[in-house]
Amino acid sequence: MKKISNYISFIMMSIAVISCMDYGAKDESDFNYSGGDGLFIVNEGNFMYGNASLSYYDINNKNVEAEVFVRANGIKLGDVAQSMTIHNGTSYIVVNNSGVIFTVDINTFKIIDIITGFTSPRYIHFVNDNKAYVTDLYSSTIYILNPKTKKISGSIPVVGHKTTERMVQSGKYIFTNCWSFDNQILVIDSEADKIVDSITVGIQPNSIVIDKNNKLWVLTDGGYQGNPYGHEIPSLFCINTSNLQIEKKFDFALNDSPSKLCINNSLDTLYFINQSIWKMGINATALPDIPVIPYKGTIYYGLAISPETSEIYLADAIDYVQNGKIYRYTAQSICIDTINAGVCPSYFCFKLK
Amino acid sequence: MKKVVAVISVLISFVNTGFSQINSEQNNPVWRMDIDSATVTAQHIMKDIGVQQTRLDTVALRENISTSMADVLSQNTVIFIKSYGRATLSTASFRGTAPSHTQVLWNGMKLNSPMLGMVDFSLIPSYFIDDASIYHGASSVSITGGGLGGAITVNTKPGGNEGFSVQYIQGIGSFDTYDSFLKLNYKNKNFQSSTRIVYNDSDNDFKYKNYNKKEYVKDENDNITGFEYPVELNKNGDYRDFHALQEFYFTASKNSHFGLSTWYMKSKRGMPTLNVDYRNESNSRSRQNEQTLRTVLYWDRFFANIKLMTKAGYTYTDLSYIYSGDDGTGRLLEMIHSQSYVNTVFSKFDIEYYLGTKWMFSANVTAHQNSVSTKDNATLNPGSVTGYIKSRFELSSFASAKYRPVERLGFAVNLREEFYGGRNTPVIPAAFVNYVISKKGNVTAKASVARNYRYPTLNDLYFIPGGNDSLNSETGYTYDGGVEFAVSNKKASLNGEITAFNSNIKNWIVWLPNFKGFWSPSNVKKVNSYGIEVKLKTGIDTGKSRKFMIDGNFAWTRSINKDNPANWADESIGKQLVYIPEFSAAVNAKFLWKTWEFAYKWIYYSERFTTSNNEKNTKIGKLGAYFMNDVSLEKHVNFSWANMSLKLLINNIFDEEYESVLSHPMAGRNFGFIVEIIPKFKR
Repeated sequence: MKKISNYISFIMMSIAVISCMDYGAKDESDFNYSGGDGLFIVNEGNFMYGNASLSYYDINNKNVEAEVFVRANGIKLGDVAQSMTIHNGTSYIVVNNSGVIFTVDINTFKIIDIITGFTSPRYIHFVNDNKAYVTDLYSSTIYILNPKTKKISGSIPVVGHKTTERMVQSGKYIFTNCWSFDNQILVIDSEADKIVDSITVGIQPNSIVIDKNNKLWVLTDGGYQGNPYGHEIPSLFCINTSNLQIEKKFDFALNDSPSKLCINNSLDTLYFINQSIWKMGINATALPDIPVIPYKGTIYYGLAISPETSEIYLADAIDYVQNGKIYRYTAQSICIDTINAGVCPSYFCFKLK
Repeated sequence: MKKVVAVISVLISFVNTGFSQINSEQNNPVWRMDIDSATVTAQHIMKDIGVQQTRLDTVALRENISTSMADVLSQNTVIFIKSYGRATLSTASFRGTAPSHTQVLWNGMKLNSPMLGMVDFSLIPSYFIDDASIYHGASSVSITGGGLGGAITVNTKPGGNEGFSVQYIQGIGSFDTYDSFLKLNYKNKNFQSSTRIVYNDSDNDFKYKNYNKKEYVKDENDNITGFEYPVELNKNGDYRDFHALQEFYFTASKNSHFGLSTWYMKSKRGMPTLNVDYRNESNSRSRQNEQTLRTVLYWDRFFANIKLMTKAGYTYTDLSYIYSGDDGTGRLLEMIHSQSYVNTVFSKFDIEYYLGTKWMFSANVTAHQNSVSTKDNATLNPGSVTGYIKSRFELSSFASAKYRPVERLGFAVNLREEFYGGRNTPVIPAAFVNYVISKKGNVTAKASVARNYRYPTLNDLYFIPGGNDSLNSETGYTYDGGVEFAVSNKKASLNGEITAFNSNIKNWIVWLPNFKGFWSPSNVKKVNSYGIEVKLKTGIDTGKSRKFMIDGNFAWTRSINKDNPANWADESIGKQLVYIPEFSAAVNAKFLWKTWEFAYKWIYYSERFTTSNNEKNTKIGKLGAYFMNDVSLEKHVNFSWANMSLKLLINNIFDEEYESVLSHPMAGRNFGFIVEIIPKFKR
């Protein structure tokens, strides 16, 4: 009996010794990137993995720091990081499926505040220093945020729509696109915090920009076959923000899927993804025939144009479950760097002096 | 001939039932009572020539009332169960393959969802299963097609003594957990009725320190001066699962038997919130509700050398996923509602024929008629829904010949052909051999080889958006070989098995975003999985009512991506698939002394990657090695009016803080107390 007891004790002790899991608090590191220009790469990660991350690219020295949020703060960024905006020297990172916005120092990457109370936040737009709007994927609401108190101060009901996405501003009016199963651009009076008008465009407007002439450009993807909302030719719309009339419309082929509409630093040239990367002047009379960066066998997941140099940054998610790559091109489409990113890099935020 | 049967009987009894014979509960084959036992044993052996099989005995299946088949498989087999926590999705990875590559049959009828292809093992209460077997790799071909990793059969069967019997088990555990089980059984010479009910109810709101969040302390100037990690409750993890199983068995004559098994399940489960989610239950909730009814009617008929088996069955599933969120006014509104209904009609005809003692032939035809209706109102305007309504007829035909030319040597050849929705897979061939190397140590060598195919699920083909109706079947080529042994004397026994396997799978279906921005499946991946599986069991009876048992398993699994690179930057080629541990092991130790039982369970998984390039230099993308330790102490008490047992469970005894799946918190040390009562009735 004693022998067996000893045997059991030995096994239990052996197991106990090798039964310690490596889990717990994460170390914090100090960063100070107060010097030159930088680019934040928002890696959305995989849905329900909680593996979103933030990479920081030193534009001048071409160095990249991976996972700077978790390394600086010792906690994870969250699930599906959607977008990032810098306002008054502070960055606001919107983490969609965590229902949170982190305000982060743009040089040290340290958390300043954590703003909660959202359902499924997507993008943030600063109307002024006292007011920001936050769009939402599921909630028929645009949240009103006070950037000074870091509190939600109100909301704008979006009756009849569920998804509100990107926002651009012309005077006191904010324009936002209703993307999923919708075809509307909503016009918000930012003084009254009310939707005052809407513009019907094509099916599923996925991105919008505003040019130097205050013209609103809208890219629609046209839905898909079997879509109960419809399936049509994707289009690029040019809208007069004064009278809300569609001035120009450029049609793609039915099976095209243009997305990620961007504009250059002088606000006169549009860029978008449609398998390849395309560039189009705002006065063009037709869609371009030749891409500026041809399709290379991978589906590009993000696109940004430097507001300073018009350099092109292109995100490649590869197989969507490994760390992606960012390709940096000059404005003349010459590749000058390849940058390691996180899982599903999708959004860029420039930090310029 | 008697000698042959005797030798092989000993071998089989050790290998297949291991140490279960030491325990009080016997694990009798279904119809042993009615047929000459020697014949049955011989038939069993012929049937299992070369088959790599793990049988789960009742010791494993009746561990405790709160366990599901996910726990049983995880603890007792080499299958890796990816579990998101208590009573949440638990899927199997068999030999490094995907959940849809493990085919699961309940009383012969498929449990794999025709929409998703996989099985959630957390929804199968282990107390509803009387007999479970794991068929590794090529051996699954004898059960069903499409088991590129393997197949699992879970069955109910008649048992118990004649007369009326009642068994009631009540468990109470941490986090307001209540598990109840009631079994009513009546049996006479020709008829048996068995009713089983399981109800699991838990708030599952365990506390954990959340290392993925910080609560900052600020000074009067709004500067952060400190922090602490919040202690949070597992949010939205509550579950209420009800299962009822009714069975009737009827013996029409000595060689003719009928059975009817009907299993109803109603499950209401929250989907636990990630530990990186800053929303609370008042502004964000996800729930999954399911009702499923399964019924199988069967009839077996025995002749001198022929066994005929006929089955017919039906499955109905009503599954919904609902996400509710705050619409900005503080009201919780339904924002996603995904609903699906599945109706499946099943039938099977099976024949086995024994030609002398050297040949056995068998053939069967299995048919499933699936009808699926799905609808999803995610982010849609009112009245507008997306989804599909599809039906598919699936037919699987099988033929097998087994030959044992001499006492030590056996061969088997299987052929299977599958038809699905007007298409068919190529012929699925499998070959098996076994050879008794040593009678003294009951040492037997086994080997098998198969080509296998798994056809796409209905979601793969028709899901809106993204379904791809031009998908081909996945193709697997697998072979394995191993040795098993069993030795014993009056006081001790030892048996074990070691198997090496290699599988190549191509046309593996993967969902990836397409140009239109939504996810769509295609036949892209090639995977080579190989490894070693080891099983070992020992038992020592030291006399004076003291017994010691220990069994364990170990697996080394390499599941390697052999694709062509997606582009030049693709670093996933040659790397382990995500969430597949390279090493896994489990040990069950049990010490019995008089009316006391002490049990220790230990599970280990090595580090798992969550990125296909196996990124090591990351703070967020890998899961460290997993170790889990559970103990239990049970006391059996016999009264004149009832037999009782009292059991105390301590799970996660070292109070480990951990995640098994990224961002899903798990419970620390927790307790359970279980009372079992079996009243005694006058006979």
